[in-house]
Amino acid sequence: MTAGAWLTDTRATPVRAQQWWVLTTRLVTPSIKTGEVLSSIVAPAAFTASFYIPLKTVMTVIGTGFSSYAQFMMPIVILQACAFTAIGAAFRSATDAVSGLDRRFGSMPIGSLVPMAARMSGNVFRLLIAIAAALVCGHVIGFRFRLDAWHTLGFLAFSLLIGIVFTLGADVIGTAAKSPEATTQALVLPPLILGMLSTGLAPASQFPEWIQPFVRNQPVSQFVIALRALAGDTKGNAGEVTWALMGPPLLWAGAIVVICLPLALRLSKRRA
Amino acid sequence: MVLTTERGTLAHGETSPVSLLRHTAIQTQRLLLRWSRNPVALLETLIIPCLLLLMLDIVIGGQIQKFSGTDALYGSVPMVAIVGALSGAVASGVMLGRERDAGLLARFWVLPVHRSSGLISRILAEGCRILLGTLVVIIVGHLLGFRFQQGFAAALLFVFIPVFFGLAFATMVTAIAVFTAKATLVESVTILTSLLMFFSTGFVPLIAFPQWIQPVVRNQPMSVAVDSMKALSLGGPLARPLTMTFLWSVGAIIVFAVPAVIGYRRASRR
Repeated sequence: MTAGAWLTDTRATPVRAQQWWVLTTRLVTPSIKTGEVLSSIVAPAAFTASFYIPLKTVMTVIGTGFSSYAQFMMPIVILQACAFTAIGAAFRSATDAVSGLDRRFGSMPIGSLVPMAARMSGNVFRLLIAIAAALVCGHVIGFRFRLDAWHTLGFLAFSLLIGIVFTLGADVIGTAAKSPEATTQALVLPPLILGMLSTGLAPASQFPEWIQPFVRNQPVSQFVIALRALAGDTKGNAGEVTWALMGPPLLWAGAIVVICLPLALRLSKRRA
Repeated sequence: MVLTTERGTLAHGETSPVSLLRHTAIQTQRLLLRWSRNPVALLETLIIPCLLLLMLDIVIGGQIQKFSGTDALYGSVPMVAIVGALSGAVASGVMLGRERDAGLLARFWVLPVHRSSGLISRILAEGCRILLGTLVVIIVGHLLGFRFQQGFAAALLFVFIPVFFGLAFATMVTAIAVFTAKATLVESVTILTSLLMFFSTGFVPLIAFPQWIQPVVRNQPMSVAVDSMKALSLGGPLARPLTMTFLWSVGAIIVFAVPAVIGYRRASRR
């Protein structure tokens, strides 16, 4: 603006698609250049090794009702990959919030949901890598898709859905909390507790009586059950893909989205 | 700022042994106070290990008991005590980095404070923290059914192992902390401790591991420390794991003590 008076009365019209693309590359390009994206590959591999190698013998002796322990624990590897991505997502959204970038965007002619959409695209990019890495690790230890292509596609889609739900929640938490370190530390515990107290590593019947109802019905276990049914098993204990089985996990996922989306809208509309 | 001569108020010079004791006591007190008022550090060193112990007991305790015939607590209590000690070391390494960046170390360097008291007080404070964390873990373990079955002297040595081991680890973390950036330190050390934990005899018995990895699992520092503590509480062969623990710890101290001291001096003179 060189002139003292406004030269136009029309507001700037944001080119949303282009803005979204620019802000997405801002998140994706550096992570590839610095090699930070490798952590999305290493984390699932480390997790698989850390649980499969020590626990395989013990769990096989006890019995899981599945053809192999790899088939049994594959879903928790996927979920862990999603949770790992979510912690990173929270860290990044908190960094944007605390550095004042969100305020800067708020004062610029940018569509109000564009920054968040761009962050989520970056998260989806990381999710795809993490889930692919998890599947490769699973294949190495002996996990196989036992059903038709539709079920396999369903497995992949549902894995991605869970990841999107997790990262969406984490993005909102990070934006609201505005403290990268505190958010990261606070988000380490829930996946650990919910992951261990789920049917992901051991069958529900192995848990003490008093905690079994919680273990069976908490969201992580429900996601695990759904993924197991979609992957199938030669022993036939994986469950059938029916509304009765898929309902609760889908409802859990839906509930998280229903809670997070309005919050995300409010946070991005908040002109600080 | 007015500079008064300290000679009038101080009976001893800042380099005398008396000053060393006094300054070390004051600085240790300072570090412990800081720690006790930092909720995140408290959470990391006291609460998380206990939660981890509870989880391990609930999730795989039963299976391991069926598998090996002995109570899994005799592996998981030592392991969690050590994990607590290691994660505390990381937290204090981060704090050391912050104090360096804030210029506090440099301030102590130019004030009449005994040069050695800074590092010695950190070691002492770390020891107190690990001791407290270990005691809390033992109390939780006791509630779950963990018992000392080898008498009082063995129990004392049991408590001493995480402290010794943790201090050796803290030496390593300090040496790394004064030379590297904060984020990479925390991440890499956390990954290292998790791997040590999962591939240790405290997580599942040695025979449950595949053959090819057993030699590694059997001789890595966390396993030998856990095995020594297991022998001191439940019973079993003690000489070999205890010697190995001692060797690992002393080795770490010998390798990292000099870089830690050099790094600390360097951080203080920035």
